[in-house]
Amino acid sequence: MTTFLQLIVVGISTGSVFGIVGVALVLVYRTTGIVNFAQGVFAVLGGMFTFELRPHMPLLAAIVLAVLLAAVLGTLAALVAVGFRGRTTHLASLVITVGIALLAEAILLATVGEVPRSYAGVWRHAWDVGGVLIQPQYVLIAGVALAATILLTLFLRGTVVGQALIASADSARAAELVGLNVRAVAVIAFAVAGGLCALGGALLAPTVPVVYNADLALTINGFAAAVFGGLTSIRLALLGGYALGIVEQLVVGYIDPQYNLTIALVVMLVLIGWRSRRELVA
Amino acid sequence: MSALFEIERLVVRYGEAVAVDGISLRVDHGERVALIGPNGAGKTSLLNAGCGVIRPASGRVRVDGDDVTGATPAVLVRRGVTQVPEGRHVFASLPVEANLQVGAYGRFFSLNVISSTLRYVRRRADVRDRLDRVYTLLPKLHELRERPAGRTSGGEQQMVAIGRALMAEPRLLAVDELSLGLAPLVVDQLAEFLVRLNEEEDVAILLVDQNAVLALALCERAYVVETGRVAVEGPSSELRERAELRGAYLGGGP
Repeated sequence: MTTFLQLIVVGISTGSVFGIVGVALVLVYRTTGIVNFAQGVFAVLGGMFTFELRPHMPLLAAIVLAVLLAAVLGTLAALVAVGFRGRTTHLASLVITVGIALLAEAILLATVGEVPRSYAGVWRHAWDVGGVLIQPQYVLIAGVALAATILLTLFLRGTVVGQALIASADSARAAELVGLNVRAVAVIAFAVAGGLCALGGALLAPTVPVVYNADLALTINGFAAAVFGGLTSIRLALLGGYALGIVEQLVVGYIDPQYNLTIALVVMLVLIGWRSRRELVA
Repeated sequence: MSALFEIERLVVRYGEAVAVDGISLRVDHGERVALIGPNGAGKTSLLNAGCGVIRPASGRVRVDGDDVTGATPAVLVRRGVTQVPEGRHVFASLPVEANLQVGAYGRFFSLNVISSTLRYVRRRADVRDRLDRVYTLLPKLHELRERPAGRTSGGEQQMVAIGRALMAEPRLLAVDELSLGLAPLVVDQLAEFLVRLNEEEDVAILLVDQNAVLALALCERAYVVETGRVAVEGPSSELRERAELRGAYLGGGP
């Protein structure tokens, strides 16, 4: 039982990061129609930037700066992916984001190399709750993922900027005709998504060291989480992240660590199939 | 005095294909003008080039005499020219009221979200007044205000699209295919509304429609477009009389 609870705790924390990437993917997809396959890169960058900045400033400042840097790079990615004239098709944009991911990996390999990077988290000591070890960092990640999801939902539903983002997702054509600049909308979405993933990555690094090529696994897991919500629901993307994280940890604990991603993705596939079947029936 | 909206020898090309081949037209303040012609004549291309959606190969677009050729739709909206797109394109997942609010926000929106939002918030009272005005003009929208726009009927969606455009306080409303896919009764109501809007609110109307009977009944003046050129233009009453038009464009009408 203790092992089981332990695995659940770890699963929720890694799942929160998948959830964050999933939420970011949904945000970008809903507002621009683009699946950003470079989304995981921003989480890796968040960890890397924080690692590099941390010796020069307090941890919190390093994380904030890393998030801002990632948001700026997100802006650049948006301009490249959407095109300077905003006329690139969604499929072409998708391929461009794959290119951005490969390029980022190459640059990271050339600059920081293959060494995994990690640093001490906010608190060093784990809490012992009835035999289950809970790292404060896990709670922090889960809390941030939840808060970010709630804030993002409130932002999209309750503010005029958020509604402008949804509007341009519903009909880019009509959004342009009422005077919204569709390229500006894409930049905002990519920047927010990039910053969010960087925050997730920066918080994850103390428990799971980041490597230059960790983005692929993060993007795949995040994508699976996002697809759980039909690529349109932010709330379900977070839930999908939790489910994925927990299943992966259970596989690690009870079956075999080398199958964790495979089995988790199969479970997601079944869940997605079940969901879509229910929708067809409803 | 210069025209409110003027298009001069406009040419639109898609690769080799010439969609608009040197069309000129003008709409004066408070006028109702129709642009009619068969499918594929270049009406929508002309409108889109006029509203900044696509870039014309040559020719000029002017608002109040100022050259706005190649400007983005945002610039035209700010200058008072707003298009209601063909097929309505409501923001389906947003409630009707949010559709209208985004219509007003378009005038302020820019990449600098903070300053554009501040501008919007500072003029919130104006936006609120404008919303009330649109609700007065289209009371049906007030009834539907909380419903997602995607879950309204075709005629209601056309109302949402028109209301959304009106939120930007246009001086010229360019309506692309008002009647497309709507029941005749609904079309009549919308047409009546456009006339009232024109007469009471002094909004000029540029109506693009395949339904020539409707467009000629609604507008004082009309341009008949055929294969990218203006075939005939003049007062609607004159055009209605012309037999050749009846055969070619009135689609077997009276």
